[in-house]
Amino acid sequence: MHSSYILRRLLQIIPLFLAVMVVVFVLVHLIPGDPVSAILGDRATPDKVARANRELGLDKPLAVQFGLFVNQVLHGNLGESINLKVPVVRLILDRLPVTLFVDVYAAVLGVVMAVPLAVLAAVRRNTWIDGLIRAVFQVGLSLPVFYVALQLLTLLGARLGWFPIGGYGTTFSEHLYHLFLPALTLGLNLAAILVRTLRNSVIEVLTAEYVDFARAKGLRSRVIMTRHVLRNALIATVTLLGLNIGGLIGGAVITETVFAIPGVGKLMVDAIFGRDYPVIQGLTLTFAVLVSLVFLATDLIHARLDPRAELS
Amino acid sequence: MKRLTRAALALAATLSLGQALGVTRGGQMVFGRYADSLFLDPVLNDANLDIWILTNLYDTLLQPTPDGKRVQPGLASRYVLSKDGKTITLTLRPNIKFADGSPITSADVKWSLDRARNPDNGAWVDLLGSIASVAVSGNTVTVNLKNPDPSIIPALATFNTGIMPQKLFNAAPGKNDAEKAKAFAEKPIGSGPFVLSEWKRGSYMVLKRNPYYWKMGEDKKSLPYLDTLRFEIIPDDNTRILKMQAGELQGAEFIPLSRVAELKADPKINMALFPSTQVSSVFMNNRPKLKDGSANPLSDVRVRQALNYAVNRPALIQLVTFGNGKPMKSFMSSSTPLFDKSQKGYTYDLAKAKSLLAAAGYANGTDVSILVTSGSANGQALATALQQMWGAVGVRLKIEQLDAASSTARYRANDFQMRASAWTDDIADPSEITSYFAVAGATEAAHTGFTDPTIEKLFVQSQQETDKVKRAAQYKQIQTIYTNASPIIYLYETPYPVALAQFVKGFNQIPLGNNIFEKTSIEK
Repeated sequence: MHSSYILRRLLQIIPLFLAVMVVVFVLVHLIPGDPVSAILGDRATPDKVARANRELGLDKPLAVQFGLFVNQVLHGNLGESINLKVPVVRLILDRLPVTLFVDVYAAVLGVVMAVPLAVLAAVRRNTWIDGLIRAVFQVGLSLPVFYVALQLLTLLGARLGWFPIGGYGTTFSEHLYHLFLPALTLGLNLAAILVRTLRNSVIEVLTAEYVDFARAKGLRSRVIMTRHVLRNALIATVTLLGLNIGGLIGGAVITETVFAIPGVGKLMVDAIFGRDYPVIQGLTLTFAVLVSLVFLATDLIHARLDPRAELS
Repeated sequence: MKRLTRAALALAATLSLGQALGVTRGGQMVFGRYADSLFLDPVLNDANLDIWILTNLYDTLLQPTPDGKRVQPGLASRYVLSKDGKTITLTLRPNIKFADGSPITSADVKWSLDRARNPDNGAWVDLLGSIASVAVSGNTVTVNLKNPDPSIIPALATFNTGIMPQKLFNAAPGKNDAEKAKAFAEKPIGSGPFVLSEWKRGSYMVLKRNPYYWKMGEDKKSLPYLDTLRFEIIPDDNTRILKMQAGELQGAEFIPLSRVAELKADPKINMALFPSTQVSSVFMNNRPKLKDGSANPLSDVRVRQALNYAVNRPALIQLVTFGNGKPMKSFMSSSTPLFDKSQKGYTYDLAKAKSLLAAAGYANGTDVSILVTSGSANGQALATALQQMWGAVGVRLKIEQLDAASSTARYRANDFQMRASAWTDDIADPSEITSYFAVAGATEAAHTGFTDPTIEKLFVQSQQETDKVKRAAQYKQIQTIYTNASPIIYLYETPYPVALAQFVKGFNQIPLGNNIFEKTSIEK
């Protein structure tokens, strides 16, 4: 692996991070409403709001507030949640693992569902099997996430009692059990995206000249499948997974609400509604770094799998 | 033989009677909440998410009665109000202890009350504004007032006067009160029936019974009956109901009113509708001009009255609350103390509405707009129904959907024409809602800009009127003037919908919203 390349890519995260910092800060302060009125609501007298704003430093000019914020971040401190009165870093460390767990789980389930079905559809292309697989996932893709979540919860959780209704559990095996339905919800969505692309890339490989050549050489079809077809399928999968990380984070918001999972998705929504500036800023920066790292990992894996991909 | 049978029957009857009277101790109750608490400090909190469970952790000198209208003894076994209404003398119970077993002293009480009335501390200071000083000696607490204040007794039964351990609080890390409060509220030691044992924010909160709580149960042993009370945070209504139906929860709050009938039909569930002080109304901007300088038809009292007459409340209650509400008769709820039973509110009278509009010069109708919280199914249904109803008298309603914080910013800047709102009292006294709805004060009568000199005068008098009959008369007059002036659209009162497992007994949510678990038991 080219370590200089990796270092360069890591360094590129810094300007991105700065840009995100500016944009997020400006955006959250541009939305109408302020955290103090949001939380005090009807009982907020002008005096109380003014005093609370003073205490929170929200009465200072925006430029000064931004300077303080940057200074904080440079010291590895993301400030304190206005509504929850705890350090933002602690909130994120508490909840990010939960969201990552669900997302990785969903990615695994999505791949496990998508790869064999996509290959099957490709091999049996233009038969009824192919049509069925594509139709089912097409429907899956067009259903809203919250609807799928609720249906799974009602059917597999409440009706059949196979899975607990929401929650998170405490041990690893409990996590796997409790988070199966939310991961399945996101995984189905991901699989629907994957199947379509994978099927096409497998067909492309199957009809490629070098596969004919391999067959002519007398290679068994299982070898061809694994060596050529799946390798290419994997490249497409990794790229797609990388591209859909944003979708997974977005999907987390809905699944975490429906399944009562204490992750960062729900935290973000609550923070936005409550105008909890430090939490919104801290989470966005975290997401930015995460997404950058996922993109980098995607590129590296892609390069490893596909020698033609240039690292530049 | 006969005698023996009789004896056996008598014995059996006594036994079953004993069971009927007895209460089962122990066990755990899992209660589903729609959102987690934010800050478990009795003084510095702002949200119902905290207020409604705080008294489980911190007891007050006096407590609201189960109907939420009066007070009963709490940490103080008795209180005496002096003849001139300027001194309250309270006697603390003997041997009361905090949840860690340390004694609750009168010094803790003085410190807690002084902290709660410190002008730098939080949103609730005004409830204690009449206190001049607090003095203690032995087990006697003397509260001296600047002037007679009929709402001070209920104030001593309100969450913000919860008694805290001074030593433990001061031992918490932090440079000042606010910092110490944050540290202390992470794992508070209080004086209520329960004590916090574990809290995973946004996920669950575990409360254990406080073995030192003073109040006795039916079995003459100390309350609470439950060993453990576990709050699970389940934001999605459907999920909360599914968990309730599956038996994973023994209680669930905030059941959408659209699902009440379905849960009432479930034999395993006791779908409780607790009387509340929650009133839903539409605040109108009463000012002659709107923020953008355009003329405001709602500044004409006849237009405001007409809109009230044009609302078909029974239909609205069916549509929005699925039959689980009742029409508002006064700006305050019928559970608020001094609510005047003779108040009529507004009837549905289209002819009257039309003639009032014509008299005001709007025979051909007019345009108005309303702020509604986006994503709120209730707000949507309400606004759409009002649109239909007012359409019948030629008033065209434009619905503006905004998220709560944006809408708050708008109405605080008086930049609105109408806004839908729900209010719940925090104290068992009519002064809180009246100062917000009807008195100009700091927030211009709920930002409506309404003001009435007679109400202003009566309110000031009522704030120092210790004669209950006279004060009730003042409030009757305030309610009547307010209805006639009609600064708001009178809608409906709704109860607190809580689903409970059939075997859960003794849970209560009082009209102020407090969830009372001290007498809750599992009777399987």
